[in-house]
Amino acid sequence: MGRRELRLLESRRLLTLLLAGVFLWSLSSVDWKGQLIHTGGVAAFWNFLSALFPPDLSPGFLRLALTASWQTLAYAVAGITLAVLIGFPLGVIASGSVSCSPGTGLGLAVAVRFILAAMRSIHELVWAVLFVAAFGLSSLTVILALALPYAGILGRIYSELFNQVPEEPLRSLRASGASPFRVLLYGRLPMALPDLLGYTFYRLECAIRSAAIMSFVGIRGLGFEIQLSLNDLLFGQVWTLLLFMVGMVVVVDLWSTRVRRSLVS
Amino acid sequence: MIQPAPTSQLFWTRRRPMTFARASLYAFVVLAVVSWGYILLATDSGASDVVSSETWSNAGNFVRQLSGVDSPVRPAYLEVDRWLATGRLALNTLAMSVLAIVLTGIAVLPTFLPGARNISNGDLGGAPSRTGAVLYHTVRLVFTLTRAVPELIWAMVIIFFLSPGILPGAVALAVHNYGVVGRLSAEVVENLKPGPARALRAAGASNFQMLLYSIFPQALPHFLTYLLYRWEVIIRTTVVVGFVSAGGLGREFRLSLSFFHYTDLALLIMWYLILVLAVDLLSAWLRRVVTKGG
Repeated sequence: MGRRELRLLESRRLLTLLLAGVFLWSLSSVDWKGQLIHTGGVAAFWNFLSALFPPDLSPGFLRLALTASWQTLAYAVAGITLAVLIGFPLGVIASGSVSCSPGTGLGLAVAVRFILAAMRSIHELVWAVLFVAAFGLSSLTVILALALPYAGILGRIYSELFNQVPEEPLRSLRASGASPFRVLLYGRLPMALPDLLGYTFYRLECAIRSAAIMSFVGIRGLGFEIQLSLNDLLFGQVWTLLLFMVGMVVVVDLWSTRVRRSLVS
Repeated sequence: MIQPAPTSQLFWTRRRPMTFARASLYAFVVLAVVSWGYILLATDSGASDVVSSETWSNAGNFVRQLSGVDSPVRPAYLEVDRWLATGRLALNTLAMSVLAIVLTGIAVLPTFLPGARNISNGDLGGAPSRTGAVLYHTVRLVFTLTRAVPELIWAMVIIFFLSPGILPGAVALAVHNYGVVGRLSAEVVENLKPGPARALRAAGASNFQMLLYSIFPQALPHFLTYLLYRWEVIIRTTVVVGFVSAGGLGREFRLSLSFFHYTDLALLIMWYLILVLAVDLLSAWLRRVVTKGG
């Protein structure tokens, strides 16, 4: 065993120890002496679980759950379209592949990468809380809040995908006199498109979850109804809504998986 | 002799096969139009507010209040003791995220193997069994159920059972991420090359030895990488979960907002950004250690 490997092993062991220490520290910040479980918390837990058999399946409530699901889906789709509209141009710039002169292109790319990082460093609901305080509550405010971090993620992934395409076709385009913009349009874009689409569809699934929690600032949808039913302690209704949530995510997940599979073949 | 088609004809009028992806793209465009139509027409969209000057002056006011330039008192983010007081909350938030990720890891570790199809159906050398199949479907069902529901909704439910603090927040984060990391880890195992496992099996290794010496070592770096990636997501979500579980920065964030203590809010946002940046850097470094070995 070489010296280097030995040092590596040592450093790993040290790191493991360090991480274990961090975990112990995190445990110590929980107030273990206080009451961990509510008085009646255990009973409430069993009540909650037993409410699943069966959930509230009355036609009236199912209709309400369906409407709420549609509202959540509409916000998710609107948010992701706005995120694509913002994220795509930023991703193109951040990839540094379109520039008249290499110097300004690179500077711009670094600046845009920083903006993208800033957009995605704040959670969509925190954006929403801040935007509602600044602009007042409306659908557009919330959709913008949803779109910002998603645009930050999409922009970064798009720029990475643009830079991962094989170099040879681009070189032949350049050799035939194509401008950087044309190289992007006829070279990078068509080659990266399957991955771009696949990733965007994957993000749609996440957007559904994010749209559901926008209920916290007062937007209607699945999260909103779950909050109402929880306040009324109607756990059967909560389960129905949770199952709708799960169903919607599963459908979108299957859809995006099939899209990705169809793009690969 | 081959007649080259005019480029315009090639690009615009050539009939392209209707693949599933193309149909999905069209379906998505229709869905997007309907969604935007619904939001702009059927809800209180606020589209008219965009052009009203009042909205923008309100927004300007909010930013000025965050910075505290108009207020006679010194803004909170210039006071050292305010930094220290909120720093304790930031540490609590960090502890919540660490607790969440460790709970996730502990829960995923024993369950992601039965959740992999090639383990349950004996593709990697074990015998296919009925228990394996039942276990596979149960584990996958639990992964889907926990993953589909966002952290904040889990927190709203869990706060019914656990006392407010960082524990219910950490549990809520862990429940959602259990589904995410569990599924990803199970898929890693499904994509493993069966060679090493079969070779061990052929050499007479028991099921347990096979897991220990072939599947685990191959899957572990991926598993740790996913956990570290999720840590970055979790630190961003701790504040949100703290809104309802009343632990760490989230609670104070909400209070400052409702009492209009806007410079306090600015300070909390600064701590939030510091935490996010620190965890992003730490996670990137740890991932490098995991994959490349330092």
